[in-house]
Amino acid sequence: MKIQYGLISADSHIALDRDAFTKRLSKAVWGDRIPQVVETTEKDKPVERWIVNGRIRRRAVCNCPAAMDGPMPRNKYPDRWEEVPRKAYVPQERLKALDEDRIDAEVLFPNDPGGFYDYGDPAFELACVQAYNDALSEWHDESDRFIPLAMVPLLGDTEARVAEVKRAVSKGHRGIVMLAEPSSTVRGFKHISDPYWYPLWAICEELGVPVHIHASAGLGDKLNVPRWEGYTPRQFHSAFTVPCGAWPAQLVPNLIFSGVLGRFPRLKWVFAETGIGSINYVREACDYEWERRRLWTEGFLQRPSEIVTRQIFVNFWFERSGIQMRHAIGIDNIMWESDYPHISSTYPQSWDFVLRTVEGVPAEEQKKMLWENAARLYGIM
Amino acid sequence: MIEGSPRVEQSCVLISADEHVVEHPGVWTERMSKSRWGNRIPHTERESDGTEHWTVDGEILPLPGVALSGALLADPCRELQRWVDVPKLSYVPDERLKAMDASGVNFAVLYPTVAGVAGETFARLDDPELELACVQAYNDWLIEEWASRSQRFVPQCIVPIYPAEASVAEIKRAVKMGHRGVIYPAIPMQIRNVPHINDPQYDLIWATCQELGVPLCLHAGSSKGVQIPIHPDMSPRAAAALQAVLRPASAVFDVANILFSRILMRFPNLKVIFAESTVAWGAFLLEYADHQFQQDRCEGYELKPSEMFTRQCFLTTWYNRVRTDIGYLGADNILWATNFPLANSTWPDVRHFVERGLFGVPEDERHKILWQNAAKLYQIS
Repeated sequence: MKIQYGLISADSHIALDRDAFTKRLSKAVWGDRIPQVVETTEKDKPVERWIVNGRIRRRAVCNCPAAMDGPMPRNKYPDRWEEVPRKAYVPQERLKALDEDRIDAEVLFPNDPGGFYDYGDPAFELACVQAYNDALSEWHDESDRFIPLAMVPLLGDTEARVAEVKRAVSKGHRGIVMLAEPSSTVRGFKHISDPYWYPLWAICEELGVPVHIHASAGLGDKLNVPRWEGYTPRQFHSAFTVPCGAWPAQLVPNLIFSGVLGRFPRLKWVFAETGIGSINYVREACDYEWERRRLWTEGFLQRPSEIVTRQIFVNFWFERSGIQMRHAIGIDNIMWESDYPHISSTYPQSWDFVLRTVEGVPAEEQKKMLWENAARLYGIM
Repeated sequence: MIEGSPRVEQSCVLISADEHVVEHPGVWTERMSKSRWGNRIPHTERESDGTEHWTVDGEILPLPGVALSGALLADPCRELQRWVDVPKLSYVPDERLKAMDASGVNFAVLYPTVAGVAGETFARLDDPELELACVQAYNDWLIEEWASRSQRFVPQCIVPIYPAEASVAEIKRAVKMGHRGVIYPAIPMQIRNVPHINDPQYDLIWATCQELGVPLCLHAGSSKGVQIPIHPDMSPRAAAALQAVLRPASAVFDVANILFSRILMRFPNLKVIFAESTVAWGAFLLEYADHQFQQDRCEGYELKPSEMFTRQCFLTTWYNRVRTDIGYLGADNILWATNFPLANSTWPDVRHFVERGLFGVPEDERHKILWQNAAKLYQIS
């Protein structure tokens, strides 16, 4: 892939065509459980919505406000499939949107419908996950400017999970997406640092594909202040969203002190859409506790901040403070994200945001954060 | 004229805005009616193996030892299990003054330990009368044994958390006795079945603090609901280190909630102190809060979140290198502390961390952070 614009989005979201699952899952086996777009009503209005395993996914038929509307602020969601802009879900049209925004490549995270573990049926989950991963592989086949991340089946046994990672990576996937802390999300799932997950980390390390924790990664209201009924919807959205930026300030220290990062030293972890400005806390706080408590006597031979430098990657999109503190975060660990086509996306003015944010930063350091770090992490070029 | 007289030479007064008293086993038993409360009184109990633990109303307190005094121990990760072993430096006021002298601390603002590092222990009780009796015994004891001993101890009261009338009655009583701050759990609705903290039902408390000119002190760690769970198989020392990093990280939720709660708008002269917060994530939080606030076009606020922070809030540092953070938080909004005698305290290397943490900070801002801001809040002159 040739770098033309000098900008890679390390966090964008796929939008799959309405037939993505119906054309890949056996109607005979799965019948109406297959994820598909159906006619329904919402607030007494006829609308189209995705339905998965009989459960309707509310709010919109596609989460793509950035493709619907002009620049921020915006708040328009499609109610019917015909309203969904083709530049969200048709690969060749989406490439044009990338060119319009002068972005070389984008890393593709899931979009609604997702969370197939939520239906409690391992076989159904695996079928949906495989269809999803296959659909993204086809995007990658269409253009290597699309960098797909695989879902992994969480309900089934470890062998099935490892096999799916291998299969997806062999078909072009460059990473996996994972729940931030599975035991907080689903009763019965193992804690993120439990040895149960070691085979998953081992295969990702072996194949050289990073693990991705995208906000909210299943944490949502599980790790937040309880909702206050007195908020307006806008106030609630702000109050709920903002502290989630600090999830990595808890998740990364857990990966350090539980020994997971030390056990899999070549495995990289990416924290998406949670900003970069909590990693300076992680480095300083973990180093402080490591020193004060002399944790090398406990087998933690490496300074936590060195582990962060080696294994933790984060994305910025609006922050100036984080960019000013880039050396306290890690100049080789910072990537950029557009979040297209979600509501907070910088599209179609990404470079305006970027230039405002990195103003005054030496060109070499800009290059690292805008594309080189991502190119290195995902093995592009 | 500053009354405190540390022995070491120093260029500047030091007010430690966050230290913890360690309650001795007689605090409650000596002050609460045995005939009325019997075994429900907070007290220590001895196991057959000689170890001791605190119990309140039949429940064992979730403390890692019979006291928290990690800074004074050979291994800060292993809290002591027998009261006879607890160092006098932590619980005898005269000894404590010596420790303050040794590190050059003129004044120490006091938070509890057994009553909860964030004053949350008695908030868990279902019996309001027992809660009040426990709270009052603590508040009385702190004046009798600490504040009366030396003006260098700045006492702060704990309160029955609900209803507001009960809180206010105790605040008034305590302030009259000499208490200078009000400790309150930041997310009470995750501790007991009480209304959301943003609810106007609590306004009487905020109004009283504002009127009496005493700061509201929200110490990190009042609620486990905003901390990820720690894997039970982690080694105790690594788990203790992780807990020490999660606690300040969880204060992000406390601060974000206050900024969006509209409490600060209703009480523009209320001062809110976030003890044991650290400052490292502050710049990101404020920038994210303003960004999201504008994105969501949040209605109903007179000021941006960062402006309300500047007007009314304080973060606390003990080891952070604050030079860059000051540009975002303001030198007027940072307090310095030692966290003595908790395991994460800078003691006995207090001076070292003062110099390291404030490296590169101009003289006038050093004075603000090290003592002037606290002197103003607590009216120390």
